[in-house]
Amino acid sequence: MINLLSRALMMMTPLLFGSIAEVFAERAGVMITAIEGIFILGALGGFVGAYVSGSLGIGIVLAVLAGMALAAFYGWITVYLKQHQVVTGVAINILAAGLSSFFMRVFFGVPVAPLTVEPLRAIPLPFLSRIPLLGPILFTQNILTYCVYAIVPLSWFILYRTSIGLTIRSTGENPEAVDVAGISVERIRFSMVVIAGAMGGVAGAFYSIGYLGMFTTSIIGGRGWIAFAICFLGNWNPLGALAGTVVFGIAEAIAISMQSSGTLTIPNELFIALPYVLTIVLTIARRSFNVPGKLGVPYKKEN
Amino acid sequence: MKVNARFRDMLLWILIAVTLGLAASASLLLFLGKNPIAAYGLLAASVIRDRYTFADIFVKATPLMLTGLAFAFTYKANLYNIGAQGQFYIGAIVATAMSLFLGARLPGPLSLPIVFVATIAAGGLWGSFVGFAKARFKSNEFLISMMSTYVALAAMNYLLRTALIETKHEYPQTNPFTPGLWLPILVNGTRLHAGFILAVLIALLVWLLLFRTPLGYRIRAVGYNADAARLAGIDSGRISIATFFIAGTLAAAAGFTETNGVQHMLVQGFNPNIGAEGIGIAILANANPVGIIFASILIGALKVGGAIMGQRSGIPASIIDIMEGFVMVFVILSSFVRSGLETRRAKRILRSRTK
Repeated sequence: MINLLSRALMMMTPLLFGSIAEVFAERAGVMITAIEGIFILGALGGFVGAYVSGSLGIGIVLAVLAGMALAAFYGWITVYLKQHQVVTGVAINILAAGLSSFFMRVFFGVPVAPLTVEPLRAIPLPFLSRIPLLGPILFTQNILTYCVYAIVPLSWFILYRTSIGLTIRSTGENPEAVDVAGISVERIRFSMVVIAGAMGGVAGAFYSIGYLGMFTTSIIGGRGWIAFAICFLGNWNPLGALAGTVVFGIAEAIAISMQSSGTLTIPNELFIALPYVLTIVLTIARRSFNVPGKLGVPYKKEN
Repeated sequence: MKVNARFRDMLLWILIAVTLGLAASASLLLFLGKNPIAAYGLLAASVIRDRYTFADIFVKATPLMLTGLAFAFTYKANLYNIGAQGQFYIGAIVATAMSLFLGARLPGPLSLPIVFVATIAAGGLWGSFVGFAKARFKSNEFLISMMSTYVALAAMNYLLRTALIETKHEYPQTNPFTPGLWLPILVNGTRLHAGFILAVLIALLVWLLLFRTPLGYRIRAVGYNADAARLAGIDSGRISIATFFIAGTLAAAAGFTETNGVQHMLVQGFNPNIGAEGIGIAILANANPVGIIFASILIGALKVGGAIMGQRSGIPASIIDIMEGFVMVFVILSSFVRSGLETRRAKRILRSRTK
């Protein structure tokens, strides 16, 4: 049980990074539909950096850079050139999938055995990890999971209790007002997309070097989209994203442990599908969605 | 005259975009120490190498055409169907189950139409759920259609592990269909099957439906200006259910052509990107059903040529994704340039009139 919950928390980490990244961008009015591609390039960057340098830290730095670069490209097309966000994201995701496996080949050729790195280790926190029950679950995790503990409240605070947060939210709700106040809507949106790209890159790296210790082209397998969905489910609020992530994290951990235990009384596909079904049900059931007013609409100054 | 100029511009810019996309992909080959010009020469030569390969272009184009239409159709009503992948899987599951069931019971010519109708009906129902949620609960169709894909995938994986698994129980795949349920081959010695003609006919039908019928007019009216359409008494809820139903049938038809035309069985995880590629094709064709026919043939050629290029000169197959991705990105960029040019032209005409 403890094992299950601990694993659930671990699986939640990248989803939280990704969904909170998405929350910031969407609050500013841009859906990052390229998030799947950002995850993939993050996973690649993380692995390449870690494998070549031998340091996981450098892997994470490279993942951040890769995520930011792809996000900037996406932001340039959608924010500055004002092209369609869904369509641009689809194109970039296909491109990113191709690029990731292509560059694996460029860097490493065709290896005989799969290349691996030692994944991030769990660091038991002094004292805290010895608390019965909670210790092994909450405080025996890797560094990225600890980061998430800070990111959730911090991002909520930034979004709702600071003037920067107010500006971000206004940019998605009423860009004209932001513009009139002399703040560039485009600059806010673009920077949010790039920051989200950095976080998405870390999320991707979690799968390659935080968990598996290797890179495969199918490593992300739709998890970017899950983070995207969690953002909607969580009502564009970091705390909501946390709640949505818990559901996905637990379902994924159960599905994995059912797969490995081999005793199948309930089909594990049910657990795999459950979060998606739940997302559909909640999307339908929730009436008071707090959709940013100008989500997905490019800002065009009238002249 | 004006429409003609616009159409000419569009073709020209799409051509430029495709060229730039291919050039960008080619330049990446330098990282592998390959000569891009030689590689593309090989690509061009290999797709016309023999009858079998050339015909394969159209085999690959067939499902892409249908999933492209599945995205383009709702797009005309300003709705986003990101769930073509799932609708495709539902189509494949139903086509397979029906084919396996009818195979031993009915002669092929009789059962193929039944399988087809059942398949598109199932895909349509699956798709229309998204439209219904949009109409009834104002739910986000983008999100629901995307999530429905994963549900369809889980359902397919479950069925391939249990009810539909082959008699040998070895791999997650079904028994092969009896040859009576295979779509007829069009050209001997190739894999080209009747599904290609079916897909082209469907694309033409979709064009007729969109541009020559009252329903198509209403769909485009909602897409063009939802408020005006509402004031004109068009029920946008009904339109959303209808468009998603039709989109579902289109993507499911792709499942049918793949299982009954190419695989002759259902294999786990086949064609995992057909939905996204369909969206790309719809972009490439500016969501025009006739354009989609040509766009899918182009992507089909890249797929076939890219695969052979990989086998013959050690260029990884991921170059196919890269070519597709770059071509799409450049098409998007070109539409930015094009709209800028159009505004300039409109301004110039306006100015010359006011003088």
